[in-house]
Amino acid sequence: MELQAVLMAAGGGSRMMDLTYNTPKPLLPVGNKPLIWYPLNLLERVGFEEVIVITTKEVQKMISTDPKVKLDVKMKLDLVCIQEDADMGTADALRHIQQKVKTDVLVVSCDLITDAALHEVVDLFRAHNATLSMLMSKAHEFTETVPGQKGKKKTGEQRDFVGVDDTGKRLLFMANEADLDEGVVIRKSIMRKHPRMHIKTGLVDAHLYCLKKSVVDFLADNKSISSIRGELVPYLVRKQFSKSTNSPKVIDETHQNLKKNDSNVNLEIQISSRDEELLHLTQERSCWNDHRGDMSDAYHGGRLRCYVHIMDEGICYRVNTLAAYIEANRLAPKLFDEPAVHPSAVVSERCLIGADSIIGASCQISDKTSIKRSTIGVSTTVREKVKVTNSIIMHGVTIEEGCNIQGSVICSNAVIGRGADIKYCLVGSAQRIEPDGEHTTASPHLAITHSPTPLYSN
Amino acid sequence: PHPSTGGGGIAPLTEQEEEEQPLQAVLVADSFNRRFFPISKDQPRALLPLGNVAMIDYTLEFLTSTGVQETFVFCCWMSNKIKDHLLKSKWCRPTSPNVVHIITSDLYRSLGDVLRDVDAKNLVRNDFILVYGDVVSNIDVSQALQEHRHRRKVDKNISVMTMVFKESSPGHKSRCEEDDVIVAMDSKSKRVLHYQKTQGLKKLQFPMNIFQHGSDEFEIRHDLLDCHISICSPQVAELFTDNFDYQTRNDFVRGILVNEEILGNQIHLYVTQDGYGARVSNLQMYDSVSSDMVRRWVYPLTPEANFTDQQGQGCTHSRHNVYRGAEVSLGHGSQMEENVLIGRDTSIGANCHISNSVIGNNCTIGDNVVLDRAHMWNNVHISSNVEIHQSVVCDGAVVKEAVHLNKQCVLAYNVVIGPNLSLPDGTVVSMHHPEEEEEDDDDEFLSDDQEVGHSKDKTRQKAFNPAEVGPEGKGYIWKASMNDTEDEELAQCLWGLVLNPDPESDSESEASEESQDRSRSVSPEIDDVNAFQLEVLGTLQRGLEENIVCDNLVLEINSLKYAYNITLKEVMQILTRVVLEYPFQQQGTQLTTLQYTGSLLPLLKTWSPVFKNYIKRAQDHLDCLSAVEELFLEQDTHQTAMVKVLMKMYQLEILEEEAILKWFSTGATNDKSRQLRKNQGKQRMSLQRKESEEDESSEEGE
Repeated sequence: MELQAVLMAAGGGSRMMDLTYNTPKPLLPVGNKPLIWYPLNLLERVGFEEVIVITTKEVQKMISTDPKVKLDVKMKLDLVCIQEDADMGTADALRHIQQKVKTDVLVVSCDLITDAALHEVVDLFRAHNATLSMLMSKAHEFTETVPGQKGKKKTGEQRDFVGVDDTGKRLLFMANEADLDEGVVIRKSIMRKHPRMHIKTGLVDAHLYCLKKSVVDFLADNKSISSIRGELVPYLVRKQFSKSTNSPKVIDETHQNLKKNDSNVNLEIQISSRDEELLHLTQERSCWNDHRGDMSDAYHGGRLRCYVHIMDEGICYRVNTLAAYIEANRLAPKLFDEPAVHPSAVVSERCLIGADSIIGASCQISDKTSIKRSTIGVSTTVREKVKVTNSIIMHGVTIEEGCNIQGSVICSNAVIGRGADIKYCLVGSAQRIEPDGEHTTASPHLAITHSPTPLYSN
Repeated sequence: PHPSTGGGGIAPLTEQEEEEQPLQAVLVADSFNRRFFPISKDQPRALLPLGNVAMIDYTLEFLTSTGVQETFVFCCWMSNKIKDHLLKSKWCRPTSPNVVHIITSDLYRSLGDVLRDVDAKNLVRNDFILVYGDVVSNIDVSQALQEHRHRRKVDKNISVMTMVFKESSPGHKSRCEEDDVIVAMDSKSKRVLHYQKTQGLKKLQFPMNIFQHGSDEFEIRHDLLDCHISICSPQVAELFTDNFDYQTRNDFVRGILVNEEILGNQIHLYVTQDGYGARVSNLQMYDSVSSDMVRRWVYPLTPEANFTDQQGQGCTHSRHNVYRGAEVSLGHGSQMEENVLIGRDTSIGANCHISNSVIGNNCTIGDNVVLDRAHMWNNVHISSNVEIHQSVVCDGAVVKEAVHLNKQCVLAYNVVIGPNLSLPDGTVVSMHHPEEEEEDDDDEFLSDDQEVGHSKDKTRQKAFNPAEVGPEGKGYIWKASMNDTEDEELAQCLWGLVLNPDPESDSESEASEESQDRSRSVSPEIDDVNAFQLEVLGTLQRGLEENIVCDNLVLEINSLKYAYNITLKEVMQILTRVVLEYPFQQQGTQLTTLQYTGSLLPLLKTWSPVFKNYIKRAQDHLDCLSAVEELFLEQDTHQTAMVKVLMKMYQLEILEEEAILKWFSTGATNDKSRQLRKNQGKQRMSLQRKESEEDESSEEGE
């Protein structure tokens, strides 16, 4: 086994509380499949047979009991639960399962929806004997209007500064705008080794990492690192160019020091594998080099290397905001070949369903209904003369006659009263929308109206 | 004289006119520095031969081949010589496709002056190429020119300059270390966002505002060789007029980038991958450009091409890049190994060994001579058994029997050396006495505009030193470090910088960063202390710079103490440490003990009120002392300074005598500190006895 897959599915979805209030983030329906299905499917497609899923008790319970979130995967899932209120970061979680980690790991976040060729990332990891390789993608502009959000885009987002070398693969620099008060500071020695650095700010991190086993061991020794993205990755990127990790002599010294003083915290990553000597020998004998322009050894003698694969095209979303959630739902049908209308759904012949819509299992769609660019969840009932456009209807929702739903998200088990007119709203789980006319009411803290024309008319 | 002086006198041209306008160039045939002194005392830099052709001819050939039709040559230093040279050259023939105007003035002091004059005389009406007279290049600028014009058309006159760079990785030998630049640019628009010389820097800092221009891809490039070729819009000349403090192109670029938001002007970049372009800015560059030339990197400008079209300049090219001019005679057993260029009418004796060298016209070389990377100009006479390595021998110089020139020697015009002498590395010999320059130097102009003649009588009287130049020698040794007046000129010796970077200093900075890393990740508690220490250092620094009253410093430190939640004891320890480390902080760790105490003691005096504020109780004294001890245990090379520090602190009444004695007598915590105390003990006692009357018998116990 070359790589062990680890799926991080314990996140609370703090950036889209409206949605995760009742449903944990890994189980949010996207294209009528729980969000966690997408990374699992990604792993399964490339041939993983086993995956360690780090999640919460709640999710575990729902996966095993709730038929609506049935995971359609053949892989063996090794569910590891962590306490919800422990406030563990991703690195903490990785440390938690250190005992299970026998080889290098592939860490995936549960909110990743992508059609990326995963081998690109792994190939970088293999080819360069890298310590870390990760996946990034050009950031997408979200085009859909987001319920409850004023204005089209949130400004003031802090950009990530990612520096790569001329090949666009080697990761040289990484920092968040928030930490760059003094501007971007780069050591000259790095510029000497990599004289042309591309700094990209318009990238989104897919939170997919290949990590050497030694990194996991390193985490076990360093309790202070709690987040992979926030602390570990920047640390590794920085470490690439520090002397102590590059000269074997120093490593030996620290090794000795460690033996002498066991209580000392191991701050150095011991990047050595059993093949290390052979690899070193091949590198010595080979005329191959990773750079040109000077006469120094491949990788300038560095032993710690970070790489990144940047997707130029294709789908890559992290479903961690409402906007991303809506966008992902719109794109999800393109990711799998399944009939848009589930065979068990009862759909009246006299209704209009656009090709870009999905109808879940055991739905009932009545006459004279029109559904365009929308997702209808499992066991949802849609009565006559309903118009649904650009909306996401989750599971078990009932929509009474004559409703008009546009650009909205209706969470599970909500009931929309007859004739309701809902535009750009988010209707919370199990909410009841009073019938009648034009008004769009919803529980004040779970539904937000956002519309050019005032719809409140009590 | 022209009526129009300031900017704005240029009428806007229509598009069609613009294309019909002949391409113009401004060639600055003066370096405005003294880098090539003493060589350039006799000949302006632009006329120095490179591959037996004057450098300015390369520049003009480059301009002509790139399509320039009108060139303004600005001369200052020895303008007559340049003028004579140009008038005789092919550039001033009626058939020349490039019309050369020579403009001379003794008043030019910098590139800025030249461009201000360009503006005043209203010479350019369109985009022009700006080069120095010592640029050797075969770059086809037309594409850069096209890009430049396109940019100007798209956004009305926003781009004022396009700098031409050649891609070459750091450490390349034709990269001038002094010109080592780092450029931050916008990947898409190729706009220069940040431009900085990196010499002496360990960390490169890019301000955030350059990343806030809407683009999401930037490039930081350190693989660029500055060709010193720029395509300028006519506004450049106006901008130089408007900003009379712009002296060099560097000033200009910096000014434009800094004031970008105000003026709205931008600078762009053109990077060529093939093509050759370099400026001969010091002898190191002269050496590399010359060898590149012989190795045919500047094709089609090769030695045998005779592009200056002068009679008798032609030569033949044979294997291993050996070029021979007309009437060259080569003695029996002499070898021209590779990359050798020999000018016409030169005769070489028997059993010579010549490689990687350029030899001028009318030279005579004796038997058994070894030349490697030698640059010999015209009419040089070399006797037998001479060995020359990587050196420049100027016109008319005579090297007598059995002379050995080590690396980086320079024999200026008409110098005689030898016989039987070995010149050490970097010897510069000139017929001009070095002091002669200083005498002339009253008006502090950087330009090589001094008249040499009138001081000749004086120098004649000074005798040549046979120990330096040999028994029959004529010439004076020039010391390498001539100019230490201005910091910018510090590194500007004739040969320029050594190419080897200092790897040790590199690792040092890494190590320090390392330790920062470490402390950062260990625990936040140490972080606070560290941060506090840095803040205190900053406060004290500012205090010194801005002359802040000690009371205010105390106030500031107190507020920091609360901000970082630091105990009073720690405050004192940190304060002591910061003050004692201050000289290292400011002047590096390589200080000698004497220098250290010299700079520390006045500081102690300045900051004694601050100390007094914190050191009151007996325990405080002891804490302070232990902090001092701790520091000197770390800096074990400076332990001898400790007694002076304690003495000073005692004199300033920061520390009380009893406290010192108590500290002294209390048991040392470990072997090392015991050793330290022992070492200090004797000296301290004697010193204290001598200098303070109240010293009592309490010390006798020791």
